[in-house]
Amino acid sequence: MASVPRSEGNAAIPALTAARPVIWPQRVRTTLANGLEVVLVESHTIPKFTGQLFFRSGNAVTAATAPGLADMTATVARTGTTARTSRQIEEDLRRMGADLSSGAGADTSAVSFAGLAEFSSDLLRLVAELTQQASFPAEEFERERRQLVEGLKIERTTPGFLASERFRRVLFGAHPYGTISPTEAQAAGYRLEQLKDFYRQYYRPGNALLVLVGDFSPQEMLARIEEIFGSWPAGKVEDAPNPVLPELRGRKVYLVHLPGSVQTQVLVGNRAITRKHPDWLPLTLANSIYGGAFNSRLVMNIREDKGYTYSPRSGAHPLRQHGYFSIGAAVRVDVAAATLTEIFYEIDRMRSTPVGEEELADARNYLSGIFSLGLATQDGLAGQLATSTLERLPDDYLETYRARILKLTAAEVLDAAKKYFDSENAQIVMVGDRAQAEAQAAQFGPLEIYDAQGNRI
Amino acid sequence: MTQLNLPIESTTLPNGLRVVVSPDRAAPVATVGVYYNIGFRIEPRGRSGFAHLFEHMMFQGSANAGKMVHIKLINSSGGVLNGSTHYDVTNYYESVPSNALDRVLWLEADRMRALKVDDENLRNQRDVVKEEVRVNVLNQPYGGFPWLDLPPIAYRNWSNAHNFYGDFDDLDAATLEDVQKFFKTYYAPSNAVLLILGDVEMDEGFKLAERHFASIPSGPQPDPANIDEPPQIEERRGVVEEKFGALPGIAIGYQAPRRLTPEWYAAAMLDQALHGGRVGRIYRRLVLEQQIAVDADGGIHYPVGDLFDYNGPTLMVTRLLHKSEYSADQTLAAYDQVLDEMKQKGMTSEELDPIKVKFRSNYYSMLEGGHGASIPRYGLMHLLACFTLFDNEPRLVNTILGGFMDVTPDAVQSVAQKLLTRHNRSIVIRQPAKKGAA
Repeated sequence: MASVPRSEGNAAIPALTAARPVIWPQRVRTTLANGLEVVLVESHTIPKFTGQLFFRSGNAVTAATAPGLADMTATVARTGTTARTSRQIEEDLRRMGADLSSGAGADTSAVSFAGLAEFSSDLLRLVAELTQQASFPAEEFERERRQLVEGLKIERTTPGFLASERFRRVLFGAHPYGTISPTEAQAAGYRLEQLKDFYRQYYRPGNALLVLVGDFSPQEMLARIEEIFGSWPAGKVEDAPNPVLPELRGRKVYLVHLPGSVQTQVLVGNRAITRKHPDWLPLTLANSIYGGAFNSRLVMNIREDKGYTYSPRSGAHPLRQHGYFSIGAAVRVDVAAATLTEIFYEIDRMRSTPVGEEELADARNYLSGIFSLGLATQDGLAGQLATSTLERLPDDYLETYRARILKLTAAEVLDAAKKYFDSENAQIVMVGDRAQAEAQAAQFGPLEIYDAQGNRI
Repeated sequence: MTQLNLPIESTTLPNGLRVVVSPDRAAPVATVGVYYNIGFRIEPRGRSGFAHLFEHMMFQGSANAGKMVHIKLINSSGGVLNGSTHYDVTNYYESVPSNALDRVLWLEADRMRALKVDDENLRNQRDVVKEEVRVNVLNQPYGGFPWLDLPPIAYRNWSNAHNFYGDFDDLDAATLEDVQKFFKTYYAPSNAVLLILGDVEMDEGFKLAERHFASIPSGPQPDPANIDEPPQIEERRGVVEEKFGALPGIAIGYQAPRRLTPEWYAAAMLDQALHGGRVGRIYRRLVLEQQIAVDADGGIHYPVGDLFDYNGPTLMVTRLLHKSEYSADQTLAAYDQVLDEMKQKGMTSEELDPIKVKFRSNYYSMLEGGHGASIPRYGLMHLLACFTLFDNEPRLVNTILGGFMDVTPDAVQSVAQKLLTRHNRSIVIRQPAKKGAA
């Protein structure tokens, strides 16, 4: 058994001194007349600024017809505008000392950027151009599509990707969250017109959020934003209804056969909740105690006690409409079954026994403390602002987060574990060579085997 | 704005430990690092991978803090911690709310004082490290390409050429006695620097350092290791099988200049012109224009190090994945043409000036965050440590930009002519395995 040493056993360990207050910076929040939401925070750590322009539409929108299309749209949108060629865009970015990337996840498309504060107007103008006047050059599209197809081929040989792909399909079925990536054939079948349609429909100010953090005065920056983005014609977007989710009863095992594997990737879990759900913080804390931190039960058990794996972790993952809980570990091929046994042992312990006061206090401190580390960098702040604003969390979410974490009780943690660590109906994905993995997998439930292309074998 | 004014002060304790403090009280968080002047380059022969395995052992228990106590105490203080092994240094670092500073320093001092580990700890971490190697290298497409592939081709001195992650036989051969001997040889205070950054007053930082570290007994300095390479006089090539991916890869490494030399500053600008993301000459030509490659990246001491954190032979590396319809020779010919143009025609200030702006911008970001996303000021810590251990001058952080800003187009061209020659380079080809019946 992995036993957690008790800190008070050693009088030499210095106590924590009085904490200096964490003061969250003032935010400037506004919505322009055309519907663009803006959040600004000044942070003078370095003479730069960082930002993201989000659209609340991502790959989920087209998952049924063209998975990954939002990502491809964002990729090609940075390769040309009515005023600049691809090469000019890249050279202008360098001249401004800027980095820029564009892409899409399930729920959002985003252009992310950072650059020197002295060039902030120029960089914002470029961002406005990419999101309003992209020209979608045919030759850039063809090249990006080919690169994507080659990238997908590599992903299909990557255990982590194959595990996530199968896992999400199992949890979400025909729902858009059930598809995390196009097939090579689907990517090869993208047409330029589809990208332009997506761009026209979803790159609209009423669907957008601009987050900026950095070395500027918020009032001056706001005026600049009004000047640069104010003329963007208004436009809103309606969410499409989504299919029902599959019913998941009983444990089932899905083995993806990757010949020649010298390790087995395990991914276990179930659907859970979004960040807006009232149980979100108790679940976060339960996850942290279970396997979400270095100093967590699962890591102590299967890494520090048994040496099965290097980087086991569990996570509660919020998407906009649903969420999921997962536990992942890449393990030695002969201990895949033993690993699953420990994963379920620790889950059942979380579900049946309240955590002790010291362990609870330690985990609350951990979540509270790492939240304030985000204050110290422009990127950290921008990430927290984006999360709370995109998900339309309460205005005081950042300010009250730590206090709410520090109030949670062992009973709330137990309750969250019972509800959201669904041991009985856990879905189990394994990626490895079936010669080693199959017999171990079959011990945990009805087994389906797939190849790396997703075909049942 | 190339001269920075970060408050940086340093001292040396009587036991030889160097201490650097750099306060910034804007947010109530602090970052602490301890860097030892030992990397995987000079681990013992027959013990490949040992420096990294040893780094794991530093989390297994010290004089007054048993196994897992370090991790538990940092996490429960609201902080995060890690360590990493590099060519020439090994680091241990924590970011915490600043009310845990005293505690963090006590922990770091405790493990500088003495390791307290047993055979069971060693067996456990040997298993963990093997899974680390599998998940990062052996079970991943293009794992170790090119950072593990190039050294055995490029170098003749075992120190530079061996498998840094470790052959499993060597990991198995490691004993507890090796662990204690390594600790004694390389982990003396005089072979280390302590860094305290963030929410602390300058005086308080030095006081805390003294309180926790001054009583650690001094130890002898390790003998300087021989990491010299004989001059390279011919192009070197090798082939490594790619087990999973279907695309062929090529990596090219040129012996890079010593740090802080005029050539080094110029080479950094050359590197930005050639690599430097989508705007770099290599990506633009091979990926965007000719579309021979689907990915191109590179850098000095790339990809497991950077411009600043080496103190011996290293390479300026380009990493290419190219389409199967092009041969390695065709790909290499296209690559050579990009380099030949640089050597023959050089560059204008219209190209170099924006490169300097971007370099300056990257430098600020590195200081603020760096590659540890959740560790504020990781980059500042890393630079201060390298400038202290290698150059004995942490304040170079404030002045080093000037050297890059002074590079002229002519200097870039002449360093290109000197560096980018056939006899100064090594090439590894990642050749996809012939797939049998699946």
